[in-house]
Amino acid sequence: MSIRISAPTQGLVLLAPALLVYCVFAVYPMLDVAALSFMKWNGLSPNAQFVGLANYVQVFTQDPVFWQAVRNTVLWTVMSVIFPPAIGFALALALNQNIPGRSPLRALFYLPVIIAPIAVATIWRWMYDPFFGLFNATLTALGLQGLIKDWLGDRNVALYAMFIASVWQTVGFSLVLFLAGLQNVSQTLIEASRIDGAGRFEVFRYVTLPALRPSITIVLILSIINSLKAFDIVYGMTGGGPAQSTQMLALWAFTQAMQLGDFGHGAAISVVLLLITISIVIPYLRWSRTHRETNP
Amino acid sequence: MNGFARAFRQPGLDRVDPILVILWVALIVVAIVWIAPFVFIVFTSLKANSTVMGSSAFAPPTSLEWRNFAGAWARGRFSTTVFNSAVITTIKVPLGLLISAMAAYALSRIRLPAGRAIFLLVLFGTMLPFQVMLAPLFTLVNSFGLINTKVGIILPYLAFGVPYQVFILHGFFGEVPKELSEAALVDGASHFTIFRRIFLPISLPVLAALLILDFVATWNEFAMALVILQDNSTWTLPLGLMSFQSQFQSDYGQLNAAIVMTVLPATIVYLIFQRYFVSGLTSGAIKE
Repeated sequence: MSIRISAPTQGLVLLAPALLVYCVFAVYPMLDVAALSFMKWNGLSPNAQFVGLANYVQVFTQDPVFWQAVRNTVLWTVMSVIFPPAIGFALALALNQNIPGRSPLRALFYLPVIIAPIAVATIWRWMYDPFFGLFNATLTALGLQGLIKDWLGDRNVALYAMFIASVWQTVGFSLVLFLAGLQNVSQTLIEASRIDGAGRFEVFRYVTLPALRPSITIVLILSIINSLKAFDIVYGMTGGGPAQSTQMLALWAFTQAMQLGDFGHGAAISVVLLLITISIVIPYLRWSRTHRETNP
Repeated sequence: MNGFARAFRQPGLDRVDPILVILWVALIVVAIVWIAPFVFIVFTSLKANSTVMGSSAFAPPTSLEWRNFAGAWARGRFSTTVFNSAVITTIKVPLGLLISAMAAYALSRIRLPAGRAIFLLVLFGTMLPFQVMLAPLFTLVNSFGLINTKVGIILPYLAFGVPYQVFILHGFFGEVPKELSEAALVDGASHFTIFRRIFLPISLPVLAALLILDFVATWNEFAMALVILQDNSTWTLPLGLMSFQSQFQSDYGQLNAAIVMTVLPATIVYLIFQRYFVSGLTSGAIKE
């Protein structure tokens, strides 16, 4: 090593490739989406026209599908924060006990997480097939023909049917995070409280649950963020239909820009979704930093 | 496996705990529900269309229709999509991990101007939903003339892989004792050498975990591929499956064979490298 380069220069050389690609292909599109939301542009013509807040006015006042997508996204997010974490939590508590077959069971529950969301959509579309799918076949076998439905074709049912597929895919994620959290709960503390006469419920309530609080926060936040960006599963299962009854913000922004050629309108929807996400992410990042500093 | 002999007992106690037995039975029931979709897909993939329509959905296939797989492979253009997915994944995953590791090293071990601000900017990206930026991504890649090219999809994949990997590796590198690198620095080694000779080797377990997670994420990615890879000769597996579903959705046997073939590689990787998934996932989210 004959030529000495200063340490900061070496650092910049190491940092440059990742930082460059990240800024160009992740940060820039985010700024660009904000800029586009003030423009009228069809995605093809060389010049976009500045229109101020017109896209936002249009989105908020003249786009009924937008409000449908808002309602669905909120409902989807609320359900995603309640059900998969609750089921994952219950399964994690059970899997943390002294029972046979814990590893294969854990592996099975986690398996849907690693399957492509688009494949999950295809799998469940087939299970919901009105004629030969598993659901209607099960109902027929149980003699409950009255409950048979076109699960994804009925606008009152489609969103919930789709959500069940999402539960199947995402429970394993919460489960594994909770299980890791449970394994960090101090065994000595649990044994000590047992010796002091605490019952099963007291141990859970006063030892396990407080120790799991960071895991719970993390799972809930990640569930919110993941559900806000629901795209693949909607695109693959219903495409937003029937009659926009399963439309979501991420998909509606995509549809406006890429399929209807209104980039400004799509960008304005994206910005709304982005602001919602950021309003959840920033407090979370703050919390996780202080949490980490107080519990090294 | 600890077997039934010692199972169902609370630690330190010798008698079987009935609540644990009930819990276990409940778990098995849930497990059956969880595995049912897989069984149903595999069964259907081996049935002829007439059998699908004529017999019970729960019945195992009587004569195995392996032809479904050959048929779906040809009609779904799997040789093209598997090849594209394989090329994109083999280039993107190791390259992305390398640049992330380099950046994480620089940010955690070298005093840089604005290093803290850069780290926060990258950290912010871990939570950024790329789904809201599909249209500007398309415009950007298009302005480079890279629509329908592998480079055009790999660059955004790299960009959105960097934050999480830098975040994890930054945490890991930060805990390496100072003495390890300072001795080498005093001996005149450059940071490049220290990174390659010391930090890369000791972080192999973390790198392996990130590699597996990223393999699955890249292999499964759909939304970005949808806007950037528009010509069917450039499609990846998820795009191919989506198109197969919309074209041949009443060809049940072949459709399910196509699903099985799409899902199988990631499943095999997962079953082999299971423990890495858990460590890769939890090292980021939960730190004791």
